[in-house]
Amino acid sequence: MGAIRSGLQKVTDFFGTRPGKIGFFFVLALFTLFMPVYFQAVGNAFMVRIFALVGIYVLLALGLNIVVGYAGLLNLGYIAFYAVGAYAGMNLGFLVQELLIGLGFLGEKPENWTYWMLLPFAAVPGALAGIMIGGPVLRLRGDYLAIVTLGFGEIVRIAITNNIAGITNGASGLPAIGQNVPPIAGQEWVRTNLSTADFIFSKDLYWYYVIIALVLFAIFVIQRLDNSRLGRAWVAMREDEVAAASVGVNILTTKLWAFALGAAWGGIAGHTYAYWVGFISPESFNFMESVLVVCMVVLGGMGSIPGAILGAVLITALPEVIRALAASPAFSGILTPEQASLVGDYRFLIFGGLMVIMMALRPQGILPSKRRARELHPIDDHVLMQENQELWEAEHKLDTDSDKF
Amino acid sequence: MSHPDFSDCRVLIDPAPPRCHASHITDGALVSVEFGIIGQQLVNGLTLGGMYALLALGYTLVYGILLMINFAHAEMFMFGAYVGLFTLQGLAQIEFFTSSGPALLLLYLLTFLIAMVATGILGVIIERFAYRPLRHAPRLAPLISAIGVSLFLQNAALLWISSRSIPFPVLFEVRTFRVAGANISSMQILIIVTTIVLMLILDTFVSRTRLGRAMRATSQDRDAAGLMGVDINRVIALTFFIGPALGGAAGIFSGMYYGNIKYNMGFIPGIKSFTAAVIGGIGNLRGAMLGGFLLGLLESLAAAYISTGYKDVIAFGILIVVLIFKPGGLLGESVTEKV
Amino acid sequence: MSVARSKRFFAIVAVLTMLAMTVTGCGGDNGDTDTGENGATGDMVDIKIGVSSPFTGDVAALGTGIRNGAQLAVEEAAVELAELGINLTMLAVDDAADPRQGVNAANQMVSDPAVVGVVAHLNSGVSIPASEVYNQAGIVQVSPASTNPALTLQGFENVFRVCTIDTVQGSFAAEYAYDVLGLSSVAVIDDSTAYGEGLAAEFAAAFEAKGGDVVSTDKIQLREVDFTALVTNINAASPDFIYFGGMYTEAGLISKQAKEAGFEGPLMGGDGLYTAQYVDIAGAANAEGDFATSIGLPLSEQPKGQEFQAAFEERFPGEAIEAYDTYGYDATMVIVEAIKVVAADLGVDELRTPAGKQAIIEAVAATNFEGVTGLVTFDENGDTLNEAVTPYVVRDGAWVPYTD
Repeated sequence: MGAIRSGLQKVTDFFGTRPGKIGFFFVLALFTLFMPVYFQAVGNAFMVRIFALVGIYVLLALGLNIVVGYAGLLNLGYIAFYAVGAYAGMNLGFLVQELLIGLGFLGEKPENWTYWMLLPFAAVPGALAGIMIGGPVLRLRGDYLAIVTLGFGEIVRIAITNNIAGITNGASGLPAIGQNVPPIAGQEWVRTNLSTADFIFSKDLYWYYVIIALVLFAIFVIQRLDNSRLGRAWVAMREDEVAAASVGVNILTTKLWAFALGAAWGGIAGHTYAYWVGFISPESFNFMESVLVVCMVVLGGMGSIPGAILGAVLITALPEVIRALAASPAFSGILTPEQASLVGDYRFLIFGGLMVIMMALRPQGILPSKRRARELHPIDDHVLMQENQELWEAEHKLDTDSDKF
Repeated sequence: MSHPDFSDCRVLIDPAPPRCHASHITDGALVSVEFGIIGQQLVNGLTLGGMYALLALGYTLVYGILLMINFAHAEMFMFGAYVGLFTLQGLAQIEFFTSSGPALLLLYLLTFLIAMVATGILGVIIERFAYRPLRHAPRLAPLISAIGVSLFLQNAALLWISSRSIPFPVLFEVRTFRVAGANISSMQILIIVTTIVLMLILDTFVSRTRLGRAMRATSQDRDAAGLMGVDINRVIALTFFIGPALGGAAGIFSGMYYGNIKYNMGFIPGIKSFTAAVIGGIGNLRGAMLGGFLLGLLESLAAAYISTGYKDVIAFGILIVVLIFKPGGLLGESVTEKV
Repeated sequence: MSVARSKRFFAIVAVLTMLAMTVTGCGGDNGDTDTGENGATGDMVDIKIGVSSPFTGDVAALGTGIRNGAQLAVEEAAVELAELGINLTMLAVDDAADPRQGVNAANQMVSDPAVVGVVAHLNSGVSIPASEVYNQAGIVQVSPASTNPALTLQGFENVFRVCTIDTVQGSFAAEYAYDVLGLSSVAVIDDSTAYGEGLAAEFAAAFEAKGGDVVSTDKIQLREVDFTALVTNINAASPDFIYFGGMYTEAGLISKQAKEAGFEGPLMGGDGLYTAQYVDIAGAANAEGDFATSIGLPLSEQPKGQEFQAAFEERFPGEAIEAYDTYGYDATMVIVEAIKVVAADLGVDELRTPAGKQAIIEAVAATNFEGVTGLVTFDENGDTLNEAVTPYVVRDGAWVPYTD
């Protein structure tokens, strides 16, 4: 036990050092970039897909983190923006396709450009939806906002199910019969040029790298945002609206920005998901999904980019990993196939239990932002007393110092 | 094949099966048909609303005291229904309980009592192990913990009991009365009346008794109440007993009314009741009752007169409108700044 | 304080990453270790048939039924295939009736090199996105129960189904109700799923084409339990019957609430209602006289039906035969037959190669055998040519073939 503890301490010490940090990020980057290639090479397309799916949820968690983590607005209907992005992307894609075919650009070429052409605008539908819902209700505080966003999420899902304006094809989803999503530009190119005899550069692998690029871009943008004037305004507002307003922060605009920017990432994620999977239906956008994204942000640590990423990785991958682990050869001696399948069925039970335990152990999240951690540190009387004591001592020391002179 | 005429077919389709829920329709006053439908929809809405209101009370009680959304509350609805079912099945084995009318009444009273106490105890256990450690944590931490509990309980019921719907037996004869053109079943009356009685008891308890006063004090200012000698932990435990107990009762009603229970039965009523609590003004007991009944009525009327597909859209739309014009809910205080 | 804290973050992340690596590494081994020696254990070649349908969730009764049927078929065929040097087993993966989990399940199955064909899925909404995974992997998919026409119209050569499509069932129900039962007005409800919506739309169109009167069309959401407002409205319009496109849970509740509110006509639906669970939910008295159309001929009229029933009761004592059990069985047998053909043509060792899997697709396309549900053959889209639909009615609390 002691040996383990001292070993752990050594590991901890090592990661505290500069080479330790660099080494850690290096390993992490290698893992992120090349693990899917390894899985593809051994023919495990399942894992490649899980990796890409995790990437989509990382995007969503990063986006929601702006709203929940930075601005402190609880949004329980975030998946609606994801849905809006997916449906808008798909429908606009069909329009662009028709246009391209009409102009004679498409036809001889086996691939289309709609995903890429629409990507710069993918954020727009989400952001517009964010402003639309945010505008009237942002005056509401805390949990009232939560329930309104929940309602909004349900409204969007039901509207999609009911084939609103004739563009969502109801429960049958998009594409409808007669429509299709041809291979996206680039997908075929990498397949023909980067594949070798035993290694196919698959569609999922291609999309994995697209998603990773988007995630990196999101991290960059959000990092800049956090350090901007707007980011500071969010923090000020989150902590005390009245005080923030009194020093000149326009509360409504600041909130609206958070809502719109958060929703924009939802839109981008939805757009990408729609083209990657090539099929969207209302079932993918239910309330539970919104809740899971909130869980990702809170579990990872609110207001922290690494936290949001870690939360998304854990929550998306964990149930699947539990299932894969139970079915893996490592357990084949211990579990019969029937038992393994049973463990697969137990994955959400285990997952729910883990969520409770994790929160009990680290209520501020696994990797909270430093700023937030300080703000949200448990209001522990003992700690407060200690801090007061330190303050008092500091003042007292000052006093005694002045006495001396 | 020749086309048999319609009357033949009726006989064929409906060989007049003896219904176990025999409907003895007692004709009341003859009123226009249109009024009958509205009346019918109002009764439907009130019954549904009664269940929402009972469940909403749990959300509002916990919110009032801890300022947290207890997501696991929806599972109390489910848990209560299952305990109710098993108790009912178990006790019905004893011949005495099914021998006479008063004995049957006793059977149901016992069922409700056992199920409510069991659900209440579950609520206290959950509070003790999932929420109490998080009492000083960031506000969203208990929310996540609650979602975890909810997932756990739902899957536990799925895996350890059944993934299927289980029929919920009704041991008494359900009569249907015809009042002003609307059919009202004795089950609907039972649900509405019991709901109102339970609410009156709760309301009296909170406003008249010593413990109730302690609850109100705690919800106003937890620390000050603590300084005044209120045992905060006890009050919170009590809250987590009463809320789930009422939710459990709502679950049994749902089982009796719809005839089936299922592991995921709490999900939709959970969302709706939470909405109801907010419409009424979360933290306010009478608001939760009002919100519950209002939402039930709204849903029924929207389904009846506007669109079944969009009835939830209408319900949530009204929620948004209410909150825009009355940001604290119907009976809630206007926005309070908690610092 | 801050240094110690940041150290702890990194330690936690490091530990979690390592954990993730070991865990995913194990998942990866899935593909690795099995491929050695072409998957041969001793002299036998390991071959699996994947089965995926909802084993949990709202329609678990139907999903586990498919698994039961497939298991029966695999166990039966394993004896025969063992003589050819094939060790046949089943890989069952839950899709929870959720498109995303279904796609994950599909990926998990195709990642196992021993899987040469899959029997999947129940819900059309799951089958359609998952079919692309099977298509990419070059593995045959035989759906036992996805009845939405779109599934086989995607141009995938590896996608087949042994059940009849919604168009056939919807229009059959409309004709039957109008011509045979003499019902002329209907309230149509669907459950907002790909299956229910498609079936209800087909039915309504066919019923109106016949000259029938559709008095109302409504949509409900899955998991709802309160339909009292809806049935009150329907009662006021008093149509001859209710047609419901959807699954047994909601259908049972609608039937119960409608009958208790005094509705006197029957409720009719598609194959999603044809399970004993429906009667349990509605209550025997309420369900009495309700109709369901189901694909294929009733077991009693099938040459192999009695055999299947006996085998099923022996293997799964106490369990009822659900709507798609026989389809799960037949879908599995289609793949088994193809395995036999390819094993004879190319040899047992070729089965696990891409060429072998391609050959299996071709062999399935040429299927022609007498299954429990009737003669199984496929058209150029991959739809079964067995278009028999049987009307069933609830009599004394059980579904029986309807005869007039």
